[in-house]
Amino acid sequence: MKKLAILITAVIFASCSSDLESLNENIKDPLAVPGESLFTGAQKNLVDQVVDLNVNNNNTKLWAQYLQETTYTDESNYDQVTRTIPETHWSVMYKNVLKDLDEAKIVIEATTYSTPELEALKPNKLVIIEILNVYTYANLVETFGDVPYTEALDIDNLLPMYDDAETIYKDLVSRLTAAINALDESNGSFGSADRIYGGDVALWKKFAASLKLRMGILMSDVDAAFAKTTVESAVTTGVFTSNADNASYTFLGSDPNTNPIHDNLILSGRRDFVAATTIIDVMNSLDDPRRLLYFTPTDDGTYKGGNIGETSSYSTYSHVSAQVEEATFPGILFDYAEVRFLLAEARARLFEVGGTAKEHYDAGITASILDWGGTAAEATTYLVQPTVDYDLAIVASTATTPWKEVIGTQKWIALYNRGLEAWTSIRLLDYPLMATPADAVSGFPARYTYPIIEQSLNGANYGSAASAIGGDEAETKLFWDLN
Amino acid sequence: MKSKLIWILAPIIGLFMSFSYAQEKTISGTVTDQMGMALPGVNIVVEGTTIGTQTDFDGNYTIQGSQDQTLLFSYIGLQSVVKVIGASSTIDVIMEEDAEALEEVVVTALGISRDKKSLGYATQEVQGEDLNTVKSGNFVNALSGKASGIQIKKNNNLGGSTNVVIRGNASLTGSNQALFVIDGVPINNTNSNSEYQGEASGNYYDYGNTASDINPEDIESVNVLKGAAASALYGSRAANGVIMITTKKGKDAAGIGITVNSGITIGSIDKSTFAKYQDQYGAGYGAYYGPDEDGFFNQEDVTGDGVADITVPFTEDASYGGRFDSNLLVYQWDALDPDSPNYRTATPWVNAKNGPISFFETPVTTTNSVSFARSYEDDGSFRLNYTRFDQSGLMPNSSIKKHNFSMSGVFKLTDRLTVTGYSNYINTKALGRNSTGYNDNIVSNFKQWWQTNVDLKDLKDIYFDTKRNVTWNPASTDAGSAPIYWDNPYWSRYENYQNDYRNRFIGNVSLDYEFTDWLNFTARVATDTYSEIQEERRANGSVPTGFGIPDSAGNRGNVDSGYGRRNLDVTETNYDFFFNFQKDLSDDFNLKGILGTNIRRNDFQSIYSATSGGLSVPRLYSLQNSTGPLPLPVERAEKIGVDGIYASASLGYKSILFVDATVRRDHSSTLPEDNSTFYYPSVATSFVFTNLLNADFITFGKLRANYAEVGNSAPFDFLFDTYNVNIPPGAPSTSVDNQKKNPELKPERTESFELGLEMKFLRNRLSFDLAYYQTNSIDQIFGVPVSRATGFEKKILNAGEIENKGVELSISGNPVRTEDFSWTAMVNWTKNKNEVVSLEDGIQTLQLGDFQGGVTLNAEVGQPYGVIYGTDYTYLNGERVVDPADGQFIKTSTSDQKIGDTNPDWLMGISNKFNYKNLSFSFLIDIQQGGSIFSLDQYYGRATGLYEETAFINDLGNPVRNTLADGGGFINEGVNPDGATNASRIRADRFGAFGYRRGLPDKAFVYDASYVKLREVAISYNLPSKLLANTFLTNASLSLIGSNLWIIDKNIPHEDPEGGLSAGNLQGYSVGSLPTTRDFGFNLKLQF
Repeated sequence: MKKLAILITAVIFASCSSDLESLNENIKDPLAVPGESLFTGAQKNLVDQVVDLNVNNNNTKLWAQYLQETTYTDESNYDQVTRTIPETHWSVMYKNVLKDLDEAKIVIEATTYSTPELEALKPNKLVIIEILNVYTYANLVETFGDVPYTEALDIDNLLPMYDDAETIYKDLVSRLTAAINALDESNGSFGSADRIYGGDVALWKKFAASLKLRMGILMSDVDAAFAKTTVESAVTTGVFTSNADNASYTFLGSDPNTNPIHDNLILSGRRDFVAATTIIDVMNSLDDPRRLLYFTPTDDGTYKGGNIGETSSYSTYSHVSAQVEEATFPGILFDYAEVRFLLAEARARLFEVGGTAKEHYDAGITASILDWGGTAAEATTYLVQPTVDYDLAIVASTATTPWKEVIGTQKWIALYNRGLEAWTSIRLLDYPLMATPADAVSGFPARYTYPIIEQSLNGANYGSAASAIGGDEAETKLFWDLN
Repeated sequence: MKSKLIWILAPIIGLFMSFSYAQEKTISGTVTDQMGMALPGVNIVVEGTTIGTQTDFDGNYTIQGSQDQTLLFSYIGLQSVVKVIGASSTIDVIMEEDAEALEEVVVTALGISRDKKSLGYATQEVQGEDLNTVKSGNFVNALSGKASGIQIKKNNNLGGSTNVVIRGNASLTGSNQALFVIDGVPINNTNSNSEYQGEASGNYYDYGNTASDINPEDIESVNVLKGAAASALYGSRAANGVIMITTKKGKDAAGIGITVNSGITIGSIDKSTFAKYQDQYGAGYGAYYGPDEDGFFNQEDVTGDGVADITVPFTEDASYGGRFDSNLLVYQWDALDPDSPNYRTATPWVNAKNGPISFFETPVTTTNSVSFARSYEDDGSFRLNYTRFDQSGLMPNSSIKKHNFSMSGVFKLTDRLTVTGYSNYINTKALGRNSTGYNDNIVSNFKQWWQTNVDLKDLKDIYFDTKRNVTWNPASTDAGSAPIYWDNPYWSRYENYQNDYRNRFIGNVSLDYEFTDWLNFTARVATDTYSEIQEERRANGSVPTGFGIPDSAGNRGNVDSGYGRRNLDVTETNYDFFFNFQKDLSDDFNLKGILGTNIRRNDFQSIYSATSGGLSVPRLYSLQNSTGPLPLPVERAEKIGVDGIYASASLGYKSILFVDATVRRDHSSTLPEDNSTFYYPSVATSFVFTNLLNADFITFGKLRANYAEVGNSAPFDFLFDTYNVNIPPGAPSTSVDNQKKNPELKPERTESFELGLEMKFLRNRLSFDLAYYQTNSIDQIFGVPVSRATGFEKKILNAGEIENKGVELSISGNPVRTEDFSWTAMVNWTKNKNEVVSLEDGIQTLQLGDFQGGVTLNAEVGQPYGVIYGTDYTYLNGERVVDPADGQFIKTSTSDQKIGDTNPDWLMGISNKFNYKNLSFSFLIDIQQGGSIFSLDQYYGRATGLYEETAFINDLGNPVRNTLADGGGFINEGVNPDGATNASRIRADRFGAFGYRRGLPDKAFVYDASYVKLREVAISYNLPSKLLANTFLTNASLSLIGSNLWIIDKNIPHEDPEGGLSAGNLQGYSVGSLPTTRDFGFNLKLQF
């Protein structure tokens, strides 16, 4: 009986192992990483999403009518539900960009670097993170309208409320101003972890000012005074002054670090896109020197674009040019040409930014042609055409506000390959006029509709936001898009 | 010569003589019960021989036997009688009621046998024999319809996984699969499918669930433990019910103990589960081609003579093109390749003679097994088995081969010490599993994106002639053009195949020591371990597709070639020590108890690596052949440990009332230290009221009730955040994980109660078992999908409650039982009602999965688990609204409409077995009522004009695909926004009119998943013992088997309502699933 008692005790204690919890340790994934690596990851995710033309991720090159789908024309016809594009965009921006930037900031702030020299880079790193934060939030506001902002990125608040778009936008501008002031050009920053500027603080400052310029311009119709101050202060800081300042991301030659366009057009072997008639017709009429830099000619040597929203045979139409398809073709977040067009707009709106609208307009076109690989001579020839010449074009325009058509059209040509930016410009300036797609499922999209998961998961906040902006519809115009 | 022959024959003659040496005589008599009533159908055998008979309707029998032999009289519900034949030739027998005989012994948790009547919870036994008639390669499939309360959902993937859910989905996102237990010890039943496979992403494979490794030949019986009370002693993992498997130990070995079993099964496609195509129109999307983009054909020079030729739009993977016309000669895909017999030759524009269905091959399954068994009376028994299983699949170049070796035995070492063991080695080799999901799946190709003018035989010939990827879908007219969307399907099968290889060992050894006649001690160690290699390949020149290692968002780079391999090492070890005692406290009271401990360790290791950017050297499948730098492999090492202590006590009063109580304490490695130890109890009671009644026709009656709680711990690594390391884009790159972990988790809990009534009438002629249950799963641990604005996709929380309520009814009867003929019938009926009671505070809806088409699967508070959301029609006074401008329906602009519920209303299995002399005939009808399924095949395939529903004569008497001007189109039934009945005609002369494209909402592609299936038919013939009497055979039987012979009724066209994704929580979505086969089999069993 005694033996039995011992056995029973043994059985019960057999299972009382200590330190069982240590089995749960994940020995394959890191518990801590350098903040710089998080920044690198976030930056790439941001550029990928902005540059992409995959119909599951970013349709704006179709919406800006640079491109047209060959067979599966849903997205050319403004369908944004079937492939849940808003969902992807929202998710990438918040989860893959903002969250990683946020984490990078937290980690870098908490890091004690090994040398005083490394420690001294810290403030600039945090400011650069802040600048990309502003860029990303600005994009979210420009695409959706009201979005979670003050309650965003807080995992303890599972149902964040949406903030008023205009309030967010103005706050972003003041954050940007603070960031510009905080940058210390006498010191470095991320170095090679920054795949855009290699950590060059002066260039980041120009980027921030240029971004501020763009944000100011976007506010012009809704709050001219705010726009004016913002734009003028940006120019005082110093915006891009040449193509060398372009925020251009360096891709690598092999997957998954190639330009996403390469993956979509070359690696996939698919033939989903041809040039769109809207841009081809304009470029043909202007005999634009960028035509062969943007597109390939068809077999007969001419440039042809598919009709908007209609099935288009791949072999009949022009395609994206070889350089755009290259694995290492740079991903552009912001460029000098756009800055000059923005300055032209600023002058047209009579903001004090120096120069004339024509000067900026001409410089924008020239910068674009040169950046794409054209020559100065081509630019000069192009500019003197009556249909391009600023003054003549203004006179010829039948638009209510002629400069919107003139600047809008040339800016749109220059923004080829930058779908989101082009779409925003079209919405703000209402030029050039977009064709109505053959099987359009909505009017020209003024915004992305909110993701399905926000409707089902964050329903109450979604509902208030939807009614605050005037309905969760593709056609609902955002606060800055008054005309 | 002659004399030599005699010498040779002598021993044989002697042998025969020895058989007939004993004095045979004829015995006859009558068998009656205590009341003097004649008993028909009583079994009588001469002990130790195969000679036997039955009493006739008047209770009379005759049998041959010799004086020193004994006769054994047996009858269910009556005490057996043994009579020595002796001198008399008339033996009358009176048989008495046998209380003992009603004592059905069943195997319960831990492998402990219990008297069924004392159990306060539902269990249902299925005999191994019934699972073994139809050999499907996965015995789990054979459970369908054979027990109530259990839903089996198999798919048609070769070696694919089977979803086994007992009493409904209880877990929101965790596993809802039943636990599989062999001889008391849990085994592994996970599948190693990628999570993306479950989400219907293309180019993933279904690797099957590992319980399919169990050899049905080894199964003595399966007992389904349905409720938490039944499985409480297994603790956390058994919350979803248990499938208890008892293996054969050779106890019933007869003769010299050799059994040979040989079977073959041949499948043929059930055409109602595959696409029925329209046969009037070929390639194209509409009149979009030619120089003016208004014709059905292109004008390109393919003959090289500088003159444009009429060419088929080969790049288009649709059949909404030109009307077939055998007088029209066109250049088709086979005119482009110099090796093609039709090179530069125009051929008639006709529907293909050999459509996609001809692509499939005849699946053949052979099972051959031999087993050796021997019983040593009271000392023990052993059994050895070898089974070879060979299966070829529907798809060309696909097969599964299994070798299964098992050994089991039980031996009494001393009077007190018994040792039991089981070991099983399984070697599985699979080749060419079918790719599942949307892209790169040949069945999606056939059911969604196909040209009806393409002949499969031509594709086959050109592939085998050239061994190149000459496809019907080239990107350009150039000879040797790469494909644009789809490979030649034969190329896909013979070049882009996967294979896998698994070595698995399952074994346990158990020592049982009897201290006294009322106390036993059992010590058992068991392991289940396997290593597996999975290899996936794409040959240079294939359609580029996502391949290899996905990034954190699930995206994979596009490549035209590649190689990937995954190595897995999975082990589970269980140590059990328990005391089992049983004592009569007085004449009336009996006490049973268990006190024990279970120590479990799971170890999962895997590494997955794949090439990037393609393969440098074609057809060399190795990692070092990667064109790009080898991407970071995915490595996993996961360990889980649970230490449990449990106790149970059962008090019985006079075989009338039984009360069971259990308690278990678990200490789990996956919870935070403060919450890692938890307790949970159960109470069950059984009341056998018949012992108090005296109603003759009621043989047995029992009421049972139970309440149980089961605690459950978390999966591995749910507590602390880790980062993802990305393939460096030029500098080190990391990112925050998509899932926010939670260091404050507590165990989840399942609370359930059950009421049951079991009754048997007229000596078991009729019996039923009725159960009502309710199970609430509370504080569930799962990754709650959150607003992405939080920066995460999911947050691990204790959140949510699911309630399952249900009724189960099993009725079995023996309507006819005569000397030569008997009929046994059984009905299993299950109704489960599932409701999501709550989710995390403030969250009303969880998205469980999102699919192509904007369709999502959700858990919403107040709704059943697994409702389908998508776009719906818009309605005006209950009628669908049609836009008068184009005749298209106006669908909702948002995708948050409830358009289906994946849960069936009820399930029913009806089985019947007829025995006539040595012949038996049985069939099983399996019914599911209700449940919804979304078909992506119809969503796209109708848009692309494949199906017969897309080409018909319209109300005006014209082909619907004519232009409106030509009297085509059709009128959608509904009203215009102003309320007027719609009279606008919708164009049907271009693609989309019938599919997703033109106004039809997701709702239009949601179908009722109900079915009535003739699941199994079996005819068996046992050779009469007389024939075998003088041979070395003791038993021989021959069976003809049919499975899935007839889908008697279903509502989803062109596919099987059971065709789903794979096992798991994402159900109710169908994309590119293989057709179902009708399987015919033949099986021969010989016992020596």
